[in-house]
Amino acid sequence: MNKYSIINTRLPRVDARAKATGAARYTDDLSMTGMLYGALLQSPVAHARIKNIDTSRAKKLPGVKDVATAQEAGAVRFGVSPARYDETIFCIDKVRYIGDEIAAVAAESLESALEAASMIDVEYEELPAVLDPFEAIREGAQVIHSDYPNNIGAEVHQEFGNVEEAFKTCDYIRTDKFVNKKQDGAFLEPQACLAVYDPDEGLTLHSSTQAPHYVQRTLAMVLGLPIGKVRVVKPYVGGGFGPKASASTLELTACLMAMRTGRPVKMTFTREQVFWHSRARHQFFHELTTGVKKDGTLVALKNTCYLDGGAYSSFGIATVYYAGSLLGAPYKLPNMKYDGYRVYTNKPANGAQRGHGGVAARAAWEQQLDVIAQELGMDPIEFRLRNIMQRGDVTCNDFNMSSLGMKECLEAVRDGSQWEKKKGKLPRGKGIGVACGFFVSGAGFPIYRSETFHSTAMVKLSEDGGTVNLYTPAAEIGQGSDTILTQIAAEALGVRYGDVKIASGDTDFGVDLGAYSSRQTLMSGHAVKQAAEEAKRQVLEVLSEQLGIQADEMDIRDGLVLFKGDGVDFSALRSNYIKEHRGWTDPPTGDRLTFVEAARMAYLARGTIVGRGAYKPGELGGKYKGAAVGTSPAYGCSAQVVEVTVDMETGQVTVDRMTDAHDCGFAINRTNVEGQMQGSLSMGLGEALFEEIKFDGKGRVANPTLGEYRIPTCLDMPNVETIIIESDEPNGPFGAKEVGEGAIMPTIPAILNAVYDATGVRISELPVTSERVFNALKAKKQQ
Amino acid sequence: MHLLPRFDYYEPRDVAEACKLLSQFKASAKVIAGGTDILVNMKKGLIAPEYLVGIGKIPGISEIEPVDGGVSIGSNLIIEKLVEFDLIKKKFAMLSKAASVLGSPLVRNRATIGGNIVNARPAADLPPALIAMGARVKLKSRRQEREISLDRFFKGPGVTVIRPGEVLTQIVIDGPPPFTGGDYIKLMHRRSLEIAIVAVASRITLDGPDGIVTDAKIILSSVAPRAVHAVRAEKALIGEKPTEKLFEHAAKIASNECRPIDDIRGSARYRCDMVEVLAKRTLRGAFVEAREQ
Ligand SMILES: Cc1cc2nc3c(=O)[nH]c(=O)nc-3n(C[C@H](O)[C@H](O)[C@H](O)COP(=O)(O)OP(=O)(O)OC[C@H]3O[C@@H](n4cnc5c(N)ncnc54)[C@H](O)[C@@H]3O)c2cc1C
Repeated sequence: MNKYSIINTRLPRVDARAKATGAARYTDDLSMTGMLYGALLQSPVAHARIKNIDTSRAKKLPGVKDVATAQEAGAVRFGVSPARYDETIFCIDKVRYIGDEIAAVAAESLESALEAASMIDVEYEELPAVLDPFEAIREGAQVIHSDYPNNIGAEVHQEFGNVEEAFKTCDYIRTDKFVNKKQDGAFLEPQACLAVYDPDEGLTLHSSTQAPHYVQRTLAMVLGLPIGKVRVVKPYVGGGFGPKASASTLELTACLMAMRTGRPVKMTFTREQVFWHSRARHQFFHELTTGVKKDGTLVALKNTCYLDGGAYSSFGIATVYYAGSLLGAPYKLPNMKYDGYRVYTNKPANGAQRGHGGVAARAAWEQQLDVIAQELGMDPIEFRLRNIMQRGDVTCNDFNMSSLGMKECLEAVRDGSQWEKKKGKLPRGKGIGVACGFFVSGAGFPIYRSETFHSTAMVKLSEDGGTVNLYTPAAEIGQGSDTILTQIAAEALGVRYGDVKIASGDTDFGVDLGAYSSRQTLMSGHAVKQAAEEAKRQVLEVLSEQLGIQADEMDIRDGLVLFKGDGVDFSALRSNYIKEHRGWTDPPTGDRLTFVEAARMAYLARGTIVGRGAYKPGELGGKYKGAAVGTSPAYGCSAQVVEVTVDMETGQVTVDRMTDAHDCGFAINRTNVEGQMQGSLSMGLGEALFEEIKFDGKGRVANPTLGEYRIPTCLDMPNVETIIIESDEPNGPFGAKEVGEGAIMPTIPAILNAVYDATGVRISELPVTSERVFNALKAKKQQ
Repeated sequence: MHLLPRFDYYEPRDVAEACKLLSQFKASAKVIAGGTDILVNMKKGLIAPEYLVGIGKIPGISEIEPVDGGVSIGSNLIIEKLVEFDLIKKKFAMLSKAASVLGSPLVRNRATIGGNIVNARPAADLPPALIAMGARVKLKSRRQEREISLDRFFKGPGVTVIRPGEVLTQIVIDGPPPFTGGDYIKLMHRRSLEIAIVAVASRITLDGPDGIVTDAKIILSSVAPRAVHAVRAEKALIGEKPTEKLFEHAAKIASNECRPIDDIRGSARYRCDMVEVLAKRTLRGAFVEAREQ
């Protein structure tokens, strides 16, 4: 018999039917009686002082119910990290990027709202726009935020070991530069929200968000409401990938206007607005110097990075830390130095996106490691295997590898791709490349300083005994957390999958920090497991009292009570249950006591049975400044082999095959783990080959559409062989840890390494467009 | 959300009625076929016609019919049909190929051939192949019908010789002479849903399976305000024995002939270099097809 019934399977998603039939309701599908439509007025210039705002024409338009500017919205600052609150709902004295929010209108129809917004007259005094981060840090550059006169919003300086000394002991040292491009999350569902205000009940915001809890706190703080009077409810969400992990002006504006008008207000971004609001992956400029011994032992890494931050901080302070702290691992590296600078520019603000802060760094380093392996005459996989960490190792920046299946991942992709048959043996134009990845399994600390639990959960048994209600504030955003948490609850309680009814994503259910940093399976999973176990314990206690058997002599599984001993007589209990349910069509039969009967008895004895769970990470390593970014209860890792064909005349890269192995600790749902791997690879492939937000000379996004911002189509995605590695994480529920973000890490460098293998040219600037490859090939020919 | 500007919608039952409406409303009316261009432009606020005249329900302009060894294609035919129809696939393969790389299945099942022509974008996929095949279009107005070679149809981005009040009803392509072959290649960033970085359509006619080139067309797309002939390259082919060297030579000339611009899809330099690659490859493809006939 399997150890588990519900987990480690391929059960279908709990929302499969709703999504496949179109029954699932997303925020923009919601509508209410008396609902108003909101529209924003956003800045058409990248940098300017606001001289005057005249709303009189807009207010006169029929159907307009509210026009709000900073005057109405106030000056409370917010953002992501309290240390860097640099936004207000509306611009007060300055606009800082094209798209910066200046005012909003609520009206009876969207047409009126849009028209009125266009009738707000703003007088600007234009300032020089600072679009390049290196221009921004120059002496005398135009200042974007007066609190940061050098335009550096955040900087990090860390050293572990002694890098300069260590370089002296190296046989080979090389320095490389690397740059990626600003990304867009490109989720299918643009941000949308619907705010409802009732003077008695308070404020309710339905929002397409990854983090209801953070949104709740921000709304309360900015709008001056008690937290208990703010409820955030998350309907189905069509993807987030990071940009939806914090409160936005859209949400605050809808709430503000709902409070002012007493009417529900709905607001939805257009696709262009998604691009302007952004908060997606930064552009990173890395310079890496790595030193090794002749035998391939990694000795030291010096990493300098400039981040183009855009106009506001958003997640940036975490990003600038991650761009340093996520390197080193999964390799043994005793010396590491990092200097990071996040620079303000007059462009849309950058924030977090899948693989937060680490994706460009990883691409840069894994490509450099390939060069080093080649210089040393070593096979890239052998070189990596030689340096990898294992379970129990601790990095120089104090990350504890409580589990790490890195070796297994590398060996799996080596064998799965038939690496040895191909590496070095492919014709020109065909290439194979490998890379590793590494990521946290949940941020070790909340974004605001607090002793708060990171996840709470509640399991309530229905009074008839037949249904298990699971209440979790965790955020299902398409990644499948509802399914995972339902499985965990069912397994931990011992009931069938279909017996658990999940309700999630509502701040009324408790606290959960949300869907970011790949945390929910581990953290929300722990809370749910604990809640289910507590409910189970109560049921078993009642059974124990009624049957006179020790609770630990019994268990519940697959909806049935299991007794360790033989000949347990539960007939009295059963006849009691049947008496209670006279006339019901499904009296329990058979020679096993069912969970339904037991749960009913528990209710009769004790009232509603509720199990509670709460999780926060235990003591984590790192006492140095910034240790809070990167320390995690567990770490996921992965390896990929990519095979490509490069058209040597056009430079066009085709990814033919990907072999991917990811250590998720333990797969609660195998199909879901593979889904995250596939999705990560597709996103990584897009960033590697196509995706780039372009700007015109004035700071305007030049390609704010999914036509010219190219995410891969299904024709661009090759078949992927996914290999799940399970290293049994001691700090995870049932041994589980992350897969949501870490899986993207190796994709870009594996593609870069394969392109090199095919062509002999190294590309150090993303995306690897055909033109870029063509130019590199041409340059090489001319050498 | 982008909202459509307000407009009145008409759905004429035949071409005559459509022409009547168009001549009545003049410049304030526009034809709508699949709507994949016009609705996008209206939502973007680039145009705001007061009247849209839908031609979707007009019988007789959505068919493919063989005529005298050639073919007549109704303007309202959706592009997916060009991919599927045997007659097109066999006899006018380069058109079928061009259609197959236009947009995505979703777009190809709405967008029409007439819309793709009249819309007159510099990177549109069907015009280069159609021009290479010597296609002509039939334009009908209240008073007259005229037929004009596609070569003389386009004036610049979004501008054609079509007059207000005229409807494009048919596209006519003569049957290819013996030993004729063609090819169309579109260079794209990704595999679908792409506007060409550059595209080339070539067609050659030989005077026998091993004969010399008697006619040649090389049409360059996405390198000028409209699809253009690589005139000198075409000339360089005629009268010559088709060899790899000849194709390379002609391709090089074509590359020197084009004057593209830098834009967000690619630089001018790269475009010229790619014209050479694609011209060579399409000539090779055309040659293979020509010999097979
Ligand atoms: C997502 C997407 C991807 C696309 N990809 C491509 C691509 O890869 N390659 C490409 O070439 N195009 C592409 N297009 C553009 C578009 O689909 C084509 O140009 C299409 O063929 C237009 O046809 P339609 O029937 O939709 O035209 P409509 O939008 O209905 O009309 C276009 C123009 O033609 C006029 N018109 C249409 N029919 C007639 C007629 N019979 N007589 C007179 N005037 C007429 C209209 O008034 C209008 O000005 C894409 C569009 C979208 C939305």
